[in-house]
Amino acid sequence: MRTYVVKRLLIAVLTLVGMSVVIFTLLRLAPGNITDIIFESAGYVEEGDRKRLEIELGIDRPVVVQYARWMGDLVRGELGKSYRYDLPAWAIIKPRLPVTLELAVLALGFSVLMGVPSGVMSAVRRGRPSDYVLRVLSLAGLSMPSFWLAMIVILVLVRSLGWIPSMTYVSPFENLGANLAQFVVPALAVGYRSSALIMRITRSAMLEVLREDYIRTAWAKGQRERLVVWRHALKNASLPVITLIGIEFAFLIGGLIVTETVFNLPGVARYLVDAIQWRDYPIVQNLTMLIATVVVLANLTVDLLYTWLDPRIKYGQA
Amino acid sequence: MTLPRPLIALALTAVLAVLVSVVAGTAQTPKYGGVLVTHPLSATPSLSPHEESTVATTQQASPCFNNLVYFDPAKTQESVDTLIPELAEKWSWQDGYRNLVFFLRRDVKWHDGKPFTSDDVKYTFDMVRAAPDARARLKVNPRKLWFDNVEAIEAPDRHTVVFRLKRPQPSLLLMLASGYSAVYPAHVPLAEFKNRCVGTGPFKLKENKPGESVEYVKNPDYFVKGRPYLDGIKFVVIRDRSTQIAALQSGQLDVAGSGWNRTNAEDAKAGAAKLVMVERDSNVNDNVLINYKRPPFNDRRVRHAINLALDRQAYLIGPRQGAATFGGALLPKPAGVWGLPAAEVTKLPGMGDAAKQKAEARRLLAEAGFGPGKPLKLTVSTRQLAIYVDTASWMVDQLQQVGIEATLEQIDTGVWHPKMTRLEYQVALNLTGVGVDDADAQLFENYRCGSQRNFSGYCSEDIDRLMVEQSQTVDPKKRLALVNEIDRKLQADGARPILGWGKQYYVWWPHVKGWAVHDNSIYNVGRRQDVWLDK
Repeated sequence: MRTYVVKRLLIAVLTLVGMSVVIFTLLRLAPGNITDIIFESAGYVEEGDRKRLEIELGIDRPVVVQYARWMGDLVRGELGKSYRYDLPAWAIIKPRLPVTLELAVLALGFSVLMGVPSGVMSAVRRGRPSDYVLRVLSLAGLSMPSFWLAMIVILVLVRSLGWIPSMTYVSPFENLGANLAQFVVPALAVGYRSSALIMRITRSAMLEVLREDYIRTAWAKGQRERLVVWRHALKNASLPVITLIGIEFAFLIGGLIVTETVFNLPGVARYLVDAIQWRDYPIVQNLTMLIATVVVLANLTVDLLYTWLDPRIKYGQA
Repeated sequence: MTLPRPLIALALTAVLAVLVSVVAGTAQTPKYGGVLVTHPLSATPSLSPHEESTVATTQQASPCFNNLVYFDPAKTQESVDTLIPELAEKWSWQDGYRNLVFFLRRDVKWHDGKPFTSDDVKYTFDMVRAAPDARARLKVNPRKLWFDNVEAIEAPDRHTVVFRLKRPQPSLLLMLASGYSAVYPAHVPLAEFKNRCVGTGPFKLKENKPGESVEYVKNPDYFVKGRPYLDGIKFVVIRDRSTQIAALQSGQLDVAGSGWNRTNAEDAKAGAAKLVMVERDSNVNDNVLINYKRPPFNDRRVRHAINLALDRQAYLIGPRQGAATFGGALLPKPAGVWGLPAAEVTKLPGMGDAAKQKAEARRLLAEAGFGPGKPLKLTVSTRQLAIYVDTASWMVDQLQQVGIEATLEQIDTGVWHPKMTRLEYQVALNLTGVGVDDADAQLFENYRCGSQRNFSGYCSEDIDRLMVEQSQTVDPKKRLALVNEIDRKLQADGARPILGWGKQYYVWWPHVKGWAVHDNSIYNVGRRQDVWLDK
């Protein structure tokens, strides 16, 4: 097991190095750099001024040198400075991380709480009215783009209650109640889509397991439905569900752009878009690497959970 | 004893008048306190107005600073007649408008407690004009041109500053009154203005969360006694317009509207009838760039044909949704000061009968050698932003109606100005905001030979000569006549045809009082020291 984890971590490091090359290259392929944007916003271009700024920011150097410098900084734990705000990149990223994490965790929590039970219920009550209702709800969740749903939620709230979640971020350490009031609605809006996905995967996995011989045996032995469904069937049906939850969590860390924008939450996803628009290389590179690291770790965690859920799985053996 | 009826009526009227005036007076007496929350156009890249060219910066930095002079917030039209003193108690033109002398206030302190002196003024404007002996250098200096005519700045004593000019320039005062012309403290390193602000203004910076919000608190030592009324002002960056509208309707914002169009403002009001909606002109125009350096656009007939093909009424109804005014190179009257008379505006190319003008455009194109057998093919370039693309798409359609095979090219916003500066386009649709409604600011920036922002490459020695002449003309009437003459020539030459001047919208709750909006600038009204909340 330990060998497996070490091997996976080494592969993760290699993956991240590959990612860094891709991120770095793609960013340089985008037209213009930060100096272009600065002068663009100023409405003129003074070549001498631009050259001076490029030298100051170090983007006049060859691309390979810039990459090596970034990697060197990363190894030393230094993330560089935001070109746009002239502040340490970490000072900009740090306050935004808890916002996205809280939203992602809450949304995932809602989606699991809504998706798994409804998937189980839908499978157990297959072909009955409740199954159809749940399937329609899940199809609706999959069909509605999250940005549309978020806007509709805002519109409905303001029209019906004259209230929308706070536009200014409230930390949970400042005021937990206000913080939850701010996050519950966006988390539900995001969680609904994920729950629909989880519900469908849970349903299909459950239907498969419910047809297995050992489940039939359990029924034949007269075991209670709760035990058969929730203990025997769900545990064995949960592998694809866990995989999906892991993927969804990774997606949520970087994919909450629209939700953070509509609900005005100062998270990393929204800021990443701003940073890309400004070609703020240190922020974009480091944030993307951070998201890539979360994806790699989420996948690793899911793999490790497999052994706990299914003891037959032995890693590191032929 | 019975009083005569007329006397009773007179007495009653007098009592009523007194009551009404007392009630009205009470209702209009400003109240102190409260924090006003609004949204800016966008996040500001810094709190340094001299280094930026977005209204987002003047909105969010102006409460912190002061100018030597400023435009009176209460007067909707900015002009030399609406200038009010700020850091300068008074000023005086000397030596036939060659020397501008400012006598500074003696009771002004920076937010860090240090005294404000003439040295701060000299430091600031030496830096902006990039004087050889300037003590600081701006990384980006977009308005250096404004102060090109300043030969030297002298500070003979702590409270007097003299701007010595190369030639007379009465409108220098207007540039100094712009929201971009704040006075900086000489003792604070320039780099610090990226994220913090030390000014003399009515509000002190409480917290700046880059990209998210800028929050100010009242400056208790402000030199204008009794101001500001508010305890604080907070700018919350909200990127999504529908969220801005919802935030206003739900009461989280007191004022909104920066960057809105008429539909946004009407949507906001439709959801909360009590909201106050204001529509005003603005000094931002939609203009067509025709590349003078590239054939066949160096042919006046082709340029004129393009100009005629663009039916301004269709532009007003289409991309501008009824919210624009027509004019030449300078904002038209009554909102603007220097625009062409209304009667002349109606005769500008594109303003007449659409069918006749399109026929004339076809004739001119045929004369230049283009017709059904050999159509003129061109690309309309524009910036990849909705407000640009909407109008550029409309332009493509209009040009196709006169047989021009036009296609649309959307250019990434990051390389838009570099491409325009290098004249890497044929025809383009551009938006231009003018910092100050003044001929010097508008003409020198956008039409002078070799200017950085002269994106069409238009160059006329005659126009350049007239520009200098109008700039040093002291008599306003004579100057206006010269400016109009320049404008007529520019329109006749098809130098950067103007499609129209856009409108601006603000929407606020009735408890917001004193929120000023100017007709001829969006940049110079951000101090907010007279705003109060009737709560």
